[in-house]
Amino acid sequence: MKKIIFVIICLLTISLYAEKLDLNTASLEELLQLPISANQAKDIYDYRFYVKYFETIFELREIESVDQKTLNILKSLVIVSHFDDRDDTATRRDEIYYLLERLGSNEGLQEGMSDVWEDHLMAPQNINKLTFSEILNFPNVSAIDAAAILKRRARGDTLSNIRDLRHTPGISYYGAKNLGNYVHFKDKYLNNKHYSKEKNNYYHVARKLYKRPSPIGEVMCTPYVWVGKLADYGFIIPEKRFYFDYQMKYKDSPYDGDAQEMYQESMVRFAEDSPNSTNQSYWGYFDMNFDRAEVMNKIRFRFKNELKAGLLFDSEKGANFTDLSFGESKYFVGYENDLNLFGRNNFKIYAGNYRATFGEGLVMENTDYYSPRKTGFGFNKRITGIIGDVSRTQEYSLKGLALDWKTEDFNLVFFISDDDKDAVIYDSNGNDSLDIDDDAFSFITMTKRFSNDELEDAEFYFNDYAGNDNFVKIAPRLDAINEKLIGGHFAYSPFIGTHLGFSGYEAIYSRDFVVPEGVDLRNLLISDIEYAADKWKITDNEVSAMYSTKSAEFGDRNFRRVFGVDWRTVLHNISFQGEYAELYTTQTFSNNFFSKILGRKKNRSPKALLMSAFAQYDNVYFLSLYRDYDLDFDNPYQRSFSESNRYDDTVFEKLKYGLNNTLLGDIYNNAAQPSAEKGFYFETRYQFHRMWTLSKAYLDIWERKSDARKGVRFEGKLEFKPIHQLRFKLRFKEQVKRYEDDLDRGKSQADELELKCLTYLSNFDKIQLGYIYTRVNQPPYLSILSNPAEPGGADMAQANTLTDGDMIYVDYTHRFNENLKMVGSFSFWYANGASFWDFEDIELDFEQTDKGWKTWFNLHSKISNNLYLSLKYKYKQFKTREIEFREYNDIPDSGEYYFKTVERKENIIRLQLDWKF
Amino acid sequence: MKKIIILIILATTVNFLFSYSIMNRFEGNFVENLDARSIAMGSATICGETNLFQSLINPANLVNVKSKFGFQTSGNFLVNTDNRALPMYNSFDGFSGEATYVSNVNLYDGYAFGAYYREKFISAAIVYHPFVSFESNYFEQVRNNANSNNNNYPPILAKNYLNGTGGIDALSFIVAGKMSIATLGCKLSKLSGNSHLERKIIWDDWAINEISDLQNDINYSDRNFEAFSTQFGANFQISERMMFGLSFTPKIEFDVSGFVMDTLGVDSMVFVYTKYDSLANPTDSLTFGDYTIPQKFRFGLNYQPRNIMRTNFNLDVEFVKWSDVCSLYEDATNFYLGVEHKLTNSIPFRFGFNYRTDYILSNHDGFTFADKVTLPTFSVGTGFEILDKFTFDFGLELTNRQYETLDLFMDSHYDYEELWANPQYLNFADRDWSNPDLVKETFLNLQTSISYKW
Repeated sequence: MKKIIFVIICLLTISLYAEKLDLNTASLEELLQLPISANQAKDIYDYRFYVKYFETIFELREIESVDQKTLNILKSLVIVSHFDDRDDTATRRDEIYYLLERLGSNEGLQEGMSDVWEDHLMAPQNINKLTFSEILNFPNVSAIDAAAILKRRARGDTLSNIRDLRHTPGISYYGAKNLGNYVHFKDKYLNNKHYSKEKNNYYHVARKLYKRPSPIGEVMCTPYVWVGKLADYGFIIPEKRFYFDYQMKYKDSPYDGDAQEMYQESMVRFAEDSPNSTNQSYWGYFDMNFDRAEVMNKIRFRFKNELKAGLLFDSEKGANFTDLSFGESKYFVGYENDLNLFGRNNFKIYAGNYRATFGEGLVMENTDYYSPRKTGFGFNKRITGIIGDVSRTQEYSLKGLALDWKTEDFNLVFFISDDDKDAVIYDSNGNDSLDIDDDAFSFITMTKRFSNDELEDAEFYFNDYAGNDNFVKIAPRLDAINEKLIGGHFAYSPFIGTHLGFSGYEAIYSRDFVVPEGVDLRNLLISDIEYAADKWKITDNEVSAMYSTKSAEFGDRNFRRVFGVDWRTVLHNISFQGEYAELYTTQTFSNNFFSKILGRKKNRSPKALLMSAFAQYDNVYFLSLYRDYDLDFDNPYQRSFSESNRYDDTVFEKLKYGLNNTLLGDIYNNAAQPSAEKGFYFETRYQFHRMWTLSKAYLDIWERKSDARKGVRFEGKLEFKPIHQLRFKLRFKEQVKRYEDDLDRGKSQADELELKCLTYLSNFDKIQLGYIYTRVNQPPYLSILSNPAEPGGADMAQANTLTDGDMIYVDYTHRFNENLKMVGSFSFWYANGASFWDFEDIELDFEQTDKGWKTWFNLHSKISNNLYLSLKYKYKQFKTREIEFREYNDIPDSGEYYFKTVERKENIIRLQLDWKF
Repeated sequence: MKKIIILIILATTVNFLFSYSIMNRFEGNFVENLDARSIAMGSATICGETNLFQSLINPANLVNVKSKFGFQTSGNFLVNTDNRALPMYNSFDGFSGEATYVSNVNLYDGYAFGAYYREKFISAAIVYHPFVSFESNYFEQVRNNANSNNNNYPPILAKNYLNGTGGIDALSFIVAGKMSIATLGCKLSKLSGNSHLERKIIWDDWAINEISDLQNDINYSDRNFEAFSTQFGANFQISERMMFGLSFTPKIEFDVSGFVMDTLGVDSMVFVYTKYDSLANPTDSLTFGDYTIPQKFRFGLNYQPRNIMRTNFNLDVEFVKWSDVCSLYEDATNFYLGVEHKLTNSIPFRFGFNYRTDYILSNHDGFTFADKVTLPTFSVGTGFEILDKFTFDFGLELTNRQYETLDLFMDSHYDYEELWANPQYLNFADRDWSNPDLVKETFLNLQTSISYKW
């Protein structure tokens, strides 16, 4: 009897539901049949169409025209079924949106790498098949984590889900947590639900039955909706589809201070009787006040994780961004897949622009961007191997063909590149012109890439003023050198966590690099020959040590060869890794490392060495790192760990006003190579209490090779979290340079203390208040001038100067809802000659000098499931350093035209549009 | 009653302002957009949800108005900040930046009014609105170099003025009709107005006491303008989510009459030039009597995705055939982008961005050059309804631009030794293009509009 009653109740229920109208599927005509007004029916239809599908009938009250009375009437007449208009990709994107945002915010520091990680986030790979290096390439995953996974797999175990991954012996909490976002645990499919061929067929049936979904037109029940429903019942969504990512970035901002200073320096200041004119500088000659927006258009295409392609049009400041030239674009096409041949073989082939990175970056890591203290751990990861490159890297991009083949034990990479590079050339043959026969001085990454015709016209104009004795005899030129590069990498892993690799490349140049020696070099670079010797400092050894293809010691070559060996081994919870590299000096291998091992000759090749050890425990890690780079190890593709970039403190930084061509300042401004230095670096993170974390602390003790200056830098960040919503952060930094010479007035010391309080409000809103105090004790400016310090001198500071300054800021994040967020900030500083770095939401601003204030806000809007927009506006007002200036034509004898400070006002607009489909 | 009082207060306190820059004192400032909703959305409103004044961008929009009869009035406050700086050099002879020597802040206004009527698939409207404004204002003082060492203000030698008044207004008739998914519209405008531009150097009493025969320097020009213009537009409702729109505005050539009183000095060069070919034959010229608004073609889309906030996403691209105005100008492309989200209680939050191009003519050693000036604009806005019939919209847009130009009042005007404390240290040579002024301008535009629907 009970059974009969149960069946009757079921039938009644079904019949009742059958009569009710489903709000999520009803047509407008059906809604009009309900006992409500036509306007109300239309509003319900519009709400579902333009706002969201109903999750409960009570959401009807969110419609302005539907009151409680109407709801009471409708309650018994309608039902709501589950609907989701997002496809699998949009759903995945929503799940990991916070991670995508974080990758985007680091884009400046991880040029081009965030694209790769984003692809992995969107299409996770099967962790049960990945090789050691593939796992290690994910962010925040250590070698110990990767080894732990491989050791577990070697025992025949299979990782089945994230919880299982976390229980892998030896893996760190953070490693497992980060990795969980980038991998899945079954083959071929996005989620780990059970795969069934029959069930999968429903997907195709659904696609046939219903119209193809269109991003612009509405189909009431898209296949994706049906597939979403099917997925709820355990069906699988295969990932076989095309993915397109389009990104547009528009940034309208002034040139940064260093570049502006470089462009504004006079090119003819030693010409007699020349009237001052803005045109005497590159800034005025090229009307660079008009240079505003920088626009980037990037398109990436992917089919599964196999076929990838990318295209980048990057229009620098001042260029016409509507004039897209394919010749100036970057592009790649790549294919990656697995092959089952004696186990898993993963191979990649890339044509076009690609990035190659190996070991610790001593031999090869081709990016235009320098990043200090790039350890290769945590947030300073490298992606080793080959990846397609549509980053903004221009000078050091490689263009050609690259192959990457991996098995569990072997990795073999081969790449070739043929690309024209910008370079500084000089009148080496003394014919008073810069031409095709002249030698090159160095590569250069130009802030603005003037065309060669523009540069020649400007030089002709400057020469007119300067006369023959001061003609521009050294200048950058676009595509001045053709570089044919061939390189490779081979690594063998005898057991899990251990490998030995060999990397090398040979670059053949169409033009000779010749760096003159001694007086000739000084006179080539410094415009005032009379004072050149005084202005040439010991730090300029770094310039003298630049690579020459022709030298008295090593003869004539047309190449540069760099060879290195890298290694890593994991013992329990410690990994040891490193790389040793040599810049070959001769035609043969007779003078290199191996010949020395064989006992033939003394090794005279410039060398570089980096070794590190990383120990990982549950709540703490320790990293210790040693590097030692020879001064003349001038490898343009070196991007390994260092405290500062190359040419720091040289004439290219400190003597821009005195250079023969002010554009040489870019050799320092955009230097991507590390400075030649040796020293130890220690880093740790330690959560020693539930509320207390030493989130990062490091100590670096190093010696700069060019002048043997010793430096020490410490920075510690302490976080106190009494409750989840409230955090206090304390940061202290101290840097001392030339610390060993107490009596030397070259010693400088900089301290910085920051205290900030962060509180999370409801709805993920947050507010942050911060205060920074900085103090700089520095030697007198005389240390870089020609004049020696004179006791009792009245005109210039004769002793160390102590300056201090502070900055206060407030940041606020407000989420209107999950699709609209606004981040705003206000800061005020009084730096007195010091300066502050400010990590804004998606970029770094390091020009908080002297006294000023700024405010910015950024609107992040998710327009639809696949369209994202962010719009930032910033206003900044600050006083530049004391500048004395005089009337345009005459030196004032009295003080009428003397201005001490000048106020600078900047307006910056940044627009980013992401369309992913 | 309270609502009505608020309404009356708002209606009477709306100031109708438009305005303007010294840079465009000859060419005038083209007033294209009068709708606050559209301004807030970066002026990217060639199609989609519509107020009456959006049909001035695309006449086909008129069919999309929401009621049978209605009117709209609109106005704005515009603050123009003009900072003029001269180049400065450091002690190493290096050009080290610019120092502002004069700053002018001006407020301008204007107004527009229109009404429409819609009958099923056809709509008509009449709108009276400003089309071009010649309003501009510039003032600077010239002081000598005495007493500045002792923190005293030096005496004023002269006051310099540039004033522009007048404008071209339009009376526009708009008709639009809908057929299936397509909407077509047409606008016919009668344009008429005038411009008065004045340039004065008025010597101060202190200077006249020193040199009794100093004469004030006053020049002015007057121009009158007459023209008819047309505009055609179309919208296509591709789907319920997406609409595509386009509009075409042919070149407008005005009949100009007027005269120049005295010369306008260097300034006059910017609108009178002749271009020669290699055989020295004149090929092109721009004279006092020429006044042309270039041909424009604009297209764009409106996208309404499903979003937890009702959302409109608009994107417009506009081609401006600048070469219609002057052969030295290159045709340019403008971009407009706007978003409208309906937040809680249907309060809209709008923001937008646009990137437009303008030109400035300059003369250097007898050669005329055209420099492109870009205007990136950021905008935000909101609105609300009152009494179910009235809609108030507010849009705030911020534009910055900078350009180089010659000194507006050259130093040689003041080359009288008697006026200066230490004339031996001074050089009264005119600054040429070797040392031009850098002008940084900011436009802060608050647009308001009130719509009434029957």
